[in-house]
Amino acid sequence: MKKRIVSLLLAASMVATLGACGNSSNASKSSSSSSAKASSNASKADPVQNLIKNTKGSVDLTLWVSETSQYQKVMKEIVNNFKNKYKNVKLNITIGSESEANTKDDLLKDPEAGADVFAFADDQINDLVKKGVLQEVSTTYTYDPKSVDTDTAVTASTLNNKLYAYPMTASNGYFLYYNKDVVPDADAGSLDKILADCEKANKTFGMELSNAWYLYSFFKGAGLKATLKDDGTTECDWNSKTSNPTGAKVAEAITKAAKSKAFKNLGNDDQMSAVKDGKMAACVNGTWSSDAVQKAWGDKMGAAKLPTYTVDGKQVQMGSFSGCKLIGVNAYSKQTGWAMLLAEYITNPENQMKIFKATGEAPATKEGQASSDVKSSKALNAIIAQSKFSAPQRVGANFWNSANSLGQSLAEGKYSDAQKLLDDAVKGITAAVK
Amino acid sequence: MEEDKVSLAGYFKDFGRAVKNGNIWTRLSLIIMGLGHLANGQYIKGCIVTAVEVLFAWVIALIGGTYWPKLSTLGTVQRKESFDPVTMTKKVNNFDNSLLILLFSIVGIVICFFFALYYIYNLKQIYKVQQAKEAGGHVNTFREDCREMVNGKFYVTLLGLPTMGVVLINVIPIVFMTCIGFTNYDIDHQPPTYLFTWVGLKNFQTLFTSSVSDSFGYVFIRILIWTIIWAVVATFSTFFGGIFLAKFINDKRTKLPAMWRTFFVITIAIPQFVTLLLVGKMFGNNGIVNGICSQIGLTDFLENIGLVSKGLGYIPFLSKPGWAHVMIILINIWVGVPYQMLSATGLLMNIPTDQLEAAKIDGASERQIFWKITMPYIMFVMGPSLVTSIIANINNFNVIYLLTTDYTTTNMRFATSHGKEVDLLITWLFNLTNNYSNFKMASVIGIITFVICVALTLLSFSRLVRGDREEEFQ
Repeated sequence: MKKRIVSLLLAASMVATLGACGNSSNASKSSSSSSAKASSNASKADPVQNLIKNTKGSVDLTLWVSETSQYQKVMKEIVNNFKNKYKNVKLNITIGSESEANTKDDLLKDPEAGADVFAFADDQINDLVKKGVLQEVSTTYTYDPKSVDTDTAVTASTLNNKLYAYPMTASNGYFLYYNKDVVPDADAGSLDKILADCEKANKTFGMELSNAWYLYSFFKGAGLKATLKDDGTTECDWNSKTSNPTGAKVAEAITKAAKSKAFKNLGNDDQMSAVKDGKMAACVNGTWSSDAVQKAWGDKMGAAKLPTYTVDGKQVQMGSFSGCKLIGVNAYSKQTGWAMLLAEYITNPENQMKIFKATGEAPATKEGQASSDVKSSKALNAIIAQSKFSAPQRVGANFWNSANSLGQSLAEGKYSDAQKLLDDAVKGITAAVK
Repeated sequence: MEEDKVSLAGYFKDFGRAVKNGNIWTRLSLIIMGLGHLANGQYIKGCIVTAVEVLFAWVIALIGGTYWPKLSTLGTVQRKESFDPVTMTKKVNNFDNSLLILLFSIVGIVICFFFALYYIYNLKQIYKVQQAKEAGGHVNTFREDCREMVNGKFYVTLLGLPTMGVVLINVIPIVFMTCIGFTNYDIDHQPPTYLFTWVGLKNFQTLFTSSVSDSFGYVFIRILIWTIIWAVVATFSTFFGGIFLAKFINDKRTKLPAMWRTFFVITIAIPQFVTLLLVGKMFGNNGIVNGICSQIGLTDFLENIGLVSKGLGYIPFLSKPGWAHVMIILINIWVGVPYQMLSATGLLMNIPTDQLEAAKIDGASERQIFWKITMPYIMFVMGPSLVTSIIANINNFNVIYLLTTDYTTTNMRFATSHGKEVDLLITWLFNLTNNYSNFKMASVIGIITFVICVALTLLSFSRLVRGDREEEFQ
């Protein structure tokens, strides 16, 4: 008899647990629908006040910014000011360090575990939007980036006519550094003259042709395209036979320049060591190298927009990828409202100037770029001058490897038929993701 | 094999016998697993077993209810969100996550499998106790059962934990990653925002076909061939290099052998990746070696005889196919020989001296002794480890990856598939997942690598480690 009771009890408990798990899932469903109702009934007064009123308990936010001490320091200050602004709410904001270049990779690994607000380089916007990780900036509450920031910066934050991020800095592109001892100011506008000057002085000119990011400048300058299509592949006409100049002519022009004794296809590190050794007298590089170049050349450092180069006997201005650092909000954030407010606060005009002063990176605001502080920096002036000829970086994932490979072939100059080389490269660049 | 079949049939026959001949309690244990134990007086055991069953039922109800029904499609509801600008809040629909569906379904299946094994074991156990009880034998108390686990059946306790670890850390991830190879999980289908689904053998087709814009087949064959060449050459070069080095150091005429040995062991003390990065930089296009070569005129000389293409201005040690292949193998010898030297030293010291002495008395030369006695002895002991080191070299990520960070291919077909001429399957796989989120192709490559490694292991172990070899050697 005793055994039977025990077994019955066990059987009953089994049934009970099964039932309980069914109940719990029902309960969670009903709670989610009731919360949805509550939000739609909320009053339609000032959204920020609404948010403050509806926020119960503490708000936990994570912010990812560059690991450099300048960024960490200025962000700490900005975040503290933000907390002071909303004193009535308990804001717990953690500042993590994450290089802007890696944000996409680390965020996409697990968006739900990523930061609520993060800084990233604008070339990642396509992937981030495509993966649904970026919260669209459909409304702003404290300032309007579209009217405050430069068109270049706003374009960089926009995809398919929707704003997806808040511009923070606008100096992530590349331009020309030159040593005035070797290349006089008057010659800095033409690649041919720069190369001739360098050859004469037995110095070198550095540009990383085997990196598609730099290679783009020649084709973009000649009016050829590499842009993103809606399906995520790249549209590219670098092999065009009908354009003027044709793709093949551009390719030959690149090889001709690269054949110069002075032209060195070198990456950033190698360029900087050559600059330091005094072997290199001019290079295409970005603001991140500004300190190193300044140290090596001192007052003789010149910075200017990219030069023109010769295609088919004509001078063509080199284009470039513009580069902005943006602040984005994670679409998987549990505190979307607060995350958006924080992102807005970090990128408002005063704080952009604060970031500029701390890091030396040009602000994205029209007013900021016109300020005397920015104007006094050679490098920033050069990048602002180059921005007229630049386009935001909008290419598919298959662009890079094929275009790098094309750059390497053009730099080595070991091809017999430029048109065929370009045709192959464009096939790779425009290929669908397999 | 024959034996296995018999025991497998016997396994189920025992179970059938237990069901057929068991009393009512034993049969009722088919439904509530603890009943038989309770009937036999093993109350604690009965409760625990039933608790396990309840736990299992609960877990399976959760997994089976939420994830199994979606396993055939891997989810159909895509994530949708809407942001309300007035309240600054967001609504998200109840979306499916393909990754979680796949993962939990597999976990559920593995749990079911192990539960089934336990279920059958449990019933047989109950039947055995029932028989013992009917025959008037002793029925173990719970305490006795526990004591048995640390005494008579200690091997079960010992093996339990590692087995669980293997299942959790190896089996489930391997099954999971293998399944990915049959889906379209890539850059355009990444959960949680997007769904992925089953595509059958399409990815395998992609891997073995080749056209201009779709060059996986072309690249796969070339990378596979290089992987195999690399594995064999790298293994044997370091193996023989190590043995010769050890032999020279152990030679009686060598002075200060301990010093030389320490000297080479120092190269092990420096972390491999530091050495590799450093050597990679030294042999870079603008590295120190190229600087020296161009100053002493070697670069010009090589250009003149056509080994380096004209006008390049540097020796492409690690940046052109051919050159890079050879350099990587040479650098690997430098990095790998000291390890082999260490293990060979231990072996050489342990060769039975009577054999060597006998050979010497018989008038054998040094060379004869080495090839007839030393080498067979070493091969006998080190043979199996040679196979494992070939496998290790097939997956030797460090050397290839760290030495070819600056390598840019000029072969457009390699570029399209994100491969390089010097890639191994493993580094290609890494590049595909890490930089291009192409998990489905990476999984397919992983499966193929796995198959190759397994085939190699089975083949060589069955030839190298046969039982009769020992006598042959003696």
